[in-house]
Amino acid sequence: MSEFDDRFRANFELARRSARKASWPVLIGLTLLSLFFLLAVFAPFIAPFDPWEPGRPFLLPSAEHPLGTNDIGQDILSELVYGTRISLFVGFFAAFVSVAIGTLVGLFSGYLRGAADEVLMGLTDIILIIPALPLMIILAAHTSPNIWNIIIVIGALWWTSTARVVRSRVLQLREMPFVEAARGLGAGDAYIVFRHILPNTLQVISAKFILAVAGAMLTEASLSFLGLGDPLQKSWGMMLNYAFSRGGFINGYWWWYMPPGICISLAVLSFVLMGFGLEEQDRRELETSKL
Amino acid sequence: MTERTGYLARQALRYAISLFIIVTLIFLIPRMMPGDPFISLLGEEVYYRSPDLVEQLKTQYGLDQPLSEQYLSYLHNLMQGNLGYSFHYSQPVWDVISYKMKWTIVLLIPSVILGAILGIVMGSLAGWQRGSGMDAWITSLFLFIYSMPHYWLAMLFVLIFAFYLGLFPLSGITAGGLEGVQKLRDVLWHMALPVFVLTLFGATYNFFIMRSSVVQVSGEGFVLTARAKGLAEREILFRHVLRNALLPLVTVIALDFGFMVSGALLVEIVFSWGGMGTLVYDAVLARDYPLLHGSFLVIACCVLAANFLADVLYAVLDPRIRGGNAA
Repeated sequence: MSEFDDRFRANFELARRSARKASWPVLIGLTLLSLFFLLAVFAPFIAPFDPWEPGRPFLLPSAEHPLGTNDIGQDILSELVYGTRISLFVGFFAAFVSVAIGTLVGLFSGYLRGAADEVLMGLTDIILIIPALPLMIILAAHTSPNIWNIIIVIGALWWTSTARVVRSRVLQLREMPFVEAARGLGAGDAYIVFRHILPNTLQVISAKFILAVAGAMLTEASLSFLGLGDPLQKSWGMMLNYAFSRGGFINGYWWWYMPPGICISLAVLSFVLMGFGLEEQDRRELETSKL
Repeated sequence: MTERTGYLARQALRYAISLFIIVTLIFLIPRMMPGDPFISLLGEEVYYRSPDLVEQLKTQYGLDQPLSEQYLSYLHNLMQGNLGYSFHYSQPVWDVISYKMKWTIVLLIPSVILGAILGIVMGSLAGWQRGSGMDAWITSLFLFIYSMPHYWLAMLFVLIFAFYLGLFPLSGITAGGLEGVQKLRDVLWHMALPVFVLTLFGATYNFFIMRSSVVQVSGEGFVLTARAKGLAEREILFRHVLRNALLPLVTVIALDFGFMVSGALLVEIVFSWGGMGTLVYDAVLARDYPLLHGSFLVIACCVLAANFLADVLYAVLDPRIRGGNAA
């Protein structure tokens, strides 16, 4: 068992190492993301004001307030810096929930096959087809607007593509010699799934996770824009919501609603670039291995 | 022929089950949530304003009955096209929605078509010349668009093209007081920016599918054969590659219809376009739950219908399904 296993793992390591020779989209994505991480971690040192501190409303950009103040006089630049925390937090946790659900569904349906597979994949197909945002709007409208509810709502509806990808990977893996060998040595199903199959699906799972973070951040921004966000937290989506609903948009105060949008776009872009870059590398590797 | 019918019957069954689940979800969600379910069923406005009316409505709607009874009467009402009553608009939900839906569809149809064309053209160009400078530029551009919140790009366009340049109106569907051709021209002028934004997003989804589809197909044996036969590159792309790469796109466009609807909802709000988006926005602000539920049901039905249409199209186009072994 261990010989097959080791050989497979060695191959896998080789593939992973070559993937680490990161291409430019991955590098740009990583750089952008680390900038946002620094912003999130050191927010209290970077932000010039306390973002919850009210003051004179609707100030224009000035030396003191580089991006002006909002409708209750909070410093917009400080809100923006603190917003990094909430937006990344929601993105990561919602992605984690969705990828965890998707992985479990994919593992079970791919490994068990038969009736379980049919039921789980049928469910996946059905959820895939239900328009997600309108359903999330209803769920969020019925629950109290807090950040954990938003994370659960997003996570509960975003797992379908992960489930599909994991399933198809598991279908390949379960026929491989090292799994056969483990089975021949009398390993139980649970042991095979979690010790042998799961580690080998990590590559596809991490790719899905990266894109799920991007999707979750965009969804949080949409829900917040509709007024379904957590009013106690400063996220970029909530800033856009306030700028839109409290006169910033109508009056053309671009310094209020352009910066949060730019931040959302760049943060999402950082994940999308990494996901896209990794996918392209996988495909190139597949092509070279075919030759 | 029978294979095709069998395939379509299976898909129809799938959509029927989906619809049933959606309908049941709408029934269950308000009843499972913490707090008084009557708030959820009647909407906040009426609940807090007139307690007497609430009692009367409870009996009228049978909300004092056991759950199973409620479920049956809920299904019975749906069958008759009764989606409930919106207290915010003081109208039956269906009447409000059927008026607003029209305007959302007016935005969606051109955006879906234009987005598909733009995505297909750009995607096949980028995929055919993968790794070239042009591919890098186009792909980066679409990755960037993909990363933006739809509604924020709409806000940016309003700022530039309407607020500063004054080329397009700031919001609304029409200035009003116009008739005939003039009204049509005015509506088209108001439509231009929202349709442009939605087209960009539609193109983005299709671009990535098309690009990877072309990349995949160009690795197949028949492309090598075509090249060996000495066919011109352009001929290979249009006669052989595209034909095979376009097929999966039919289903993708339909599936994206769901995303496009979601995008349209948000973009509408920015433009104050009086369709489903502004309706949902108002319903969220007023917590008018019957209206929210009805909107979700109608949107979901449209998305399911679009998908079934795509399946029919797919079955007609794909010889593999026509002849058998449908996967």
